[in-house]
Amino acid sequence: MKIEQAGVGAGVLGLGLLLGAGATQFSGEAGYGGVGPNFLPWVVSALLVLCGGLLLWEAASGGFRDLEQAPGEASGHWPGFVWVSVGLLANAVLITRIGFILSCTLCFVLAVRAFKSSEGRLDLSLRGLLVDTLVGLAIAAPVYWMFTQLLSINLPGLTSSGWL
Amino acid sequence: MDTLNLLVQGFISAGTPINLLWCLLGCTIGTAVGVLPGIGPATAVAMLLPITLKVEPTASMIFFAGIYYGAMYGGSTTSILLNTPGEAGSMVTAMEGNKMAKHGRAGAALATSAIGSFVAGTIATVIVTFFAPVVANYAVRLGPPEYFLLMVLAFCTVSAVLGQSTLRGLTALGIGLAMGLVGIDQISGHARYTLGVPEMMDGLEVVLIAVGLFAVAEALYAVLYEGRTVETQNMLSKVHMTGADWRRSWPAWLRATAIGTPFGCIPAGGSEIPTFLSYATEKKLAKPEYRREFGSIGAIEGVAGPEAANNAAITATLIPLLTLGIPTSNTTAILLGAFQNYGIQPGPQLFDKNSTLVWALIASLYIGNVMLLVLNLPLVGLWVKLLKIPKSYLYAGILIFATVGVYGMRQSAFDLVLLYAIGLLGVVMRRFSLPTAPVVVGMILGPLAEAQMRNALSIGEGKWSVFVERPMSLFLLLVVIIVLTLPRLMRLRKALKSR
Repeated sequence: MKIEQAGVGAGVLGLGLLLGAGATQFSGEAGYGGVGPNFLPWVVSALLVLCGGLLLWEAASGGFRDLEQAPGEASGHWPGFVWVSVGLLANAVLITRIGFILSCTLCFVLAVRAFKSSEGRLDLSLRGLLVDTLVGLAIAAPVYWMFTQLLSINLPGLTSSGWL
Repeated sequence: MDTLNLLVQGFISAGTPINLLWCLLGCTIGTAVGVLPGIGPATAVAMLLPITLKVEPTASMIFFAGIYYGAMYGGSTTSILLNTPGEAGSMVTAMEGNKMAKHGRAGAALATSAIGSFVAGTIATVIVTFFAPVVANYAVRLGPPEYFLLMVLAFCTVSAVLGQSTLRGLTALGIGLAMGLVGIDQISGHARYTLGVPEMMDGLEVVLIAVGLFAVAEALYAVLYEGRTVETQNMLSKVHMTGADWRRSWPAWLRATAIGTPFGCIPAGGSEIPTFLSYATEKKLAKPEYRREFGSIGAIEGVAGPEAANNAAITATLIPLLTLGIPTSNTTAILLGAFQNYGIQPGPQLFDKNSTLVWALIASLYIGNVMLLVLNLPLVGLWVKLLKIPKSYLYAGILIFATVGVYGMRQSAFDLVLLYAIGLLGVVMRRFSLPTAPVVVGMILGPLAEAQMRNALSIGEGKWSVFVERPMSLFLLLVVIIVLTLPRLMRLRKALKSR
């Protein structure tokens, strides 16, 4: 039994069951259509339950078929993953509070830490932080101006001037 | 002659300074994302989809198309110099082109792939020009049953035929269809799977799914699993082809165009099959003294053919997209999303209702191919410099663009959390080799297919027999069955033979 693969199969199976549970709530009133709005949900639910079941079976009987070795290393580098996850989620929380430029710069700086740590050279020096902050600003600020000023697409700013 | 008149009109509207600028910008961004590892045309188009809120349709479609085929030119540069194919279509180029580059012939490989892409792209564009209106004329006669089956055919080919495993392809398709179900049902107006969240009523954003699955997943995956992967870069030599190189390249270009174009036209897209076919053909037809170069020092035919086939197929995928509204790859699926943002539904009527847009788009393909030849041949050294950007800055920068794309579309911080979740899904899919194209195609095409199916059933007064009573739809049904069973039967026959 390949535990990780079985997990994927179980996830797919679970998603199928959830969709099925949802489908019981929808009306089956067909009108002229022959089938109602609950028809496709049932089909997709059945498809996913079937696929999930088969994936589980494959995982239990020697692993997924025709599987190429996934690219990269065998085990994940989790500290780096945490860095970049924090960066992305902080961005979601902060974007409306401190504005697009600062929030994205923070995300950038954290992501750079993530990649350097995964390359085995985590850089927490003040100089490194400063350089990366400047690079992040140099990307985020022009992007912000281009979208808000040239394309007039709303992105949250720290002030309402559209420049910061 | 009518077609030529329309094409001239197209050149006039594509040739305005502002549209030329969009085309150049698209080609430049396309080449850049093609060269850069970790970001492809589908991601780039998805991240820039918010511009559809402000820019007028013709300009933005010219822009997106430029990114689409520009990335094919750029992708070959990376696969020749780095041996990391940017996308599936350049896998074969990476095999042979990298061998050439290792033996000091990078310049010739780059030249034959750029010129080959130009030749194939231009010929395929000519075919699009004359063939697409014919298909559109014919497609007007198709009704909901036929459309539904065409979409089923597209689902089957992207999920069950391409890729390593039918089961994993169908799983991915199921996930995509499930995503497409979220929101208000088009026909009855019922809300489905919205969990009471108002943002979910409009359905999931294409941008969100595409950027999450490609850009964010790519970044997370690189951090998790590829930190220690060191890439070696080959030296760039003078971009020049000798007389012998030309003599060996041009037949390969033409043969590859003939192989690639039909594959792009049928709703069975993907450029893997035509590139591999072209490679095999070239290897078989090569003179014995050249055949030895395949796999050893690198044969120029092995680069010229697949590159041309790739570009021909990519260009020809615009035929099913524009005339039938059926996307057959990640990027065309997102282009369909771009059309939908304007309330334009590609299909046979597109050539009547939005004829200015269509012809400007087709004309821009000719212009773009010329621009790309210039951008990629003399300026190739410039693009190679992009490969010097440290991976950490590259991926961190991609995350900034991902935020713009997703946040700019709906101004919702909730979407950014969802983006992260989709990114995680993408990492799992990549790790267990679940293909992504069926997810994107299923999500975008799913709701359209459902509507066509229900319309078809109401035409048939609720009876499923409507799908077999009409000759054209019966034919398509048979094609679907053949596509699903033939590869299996052939494998079975092979297995029996080898016993």
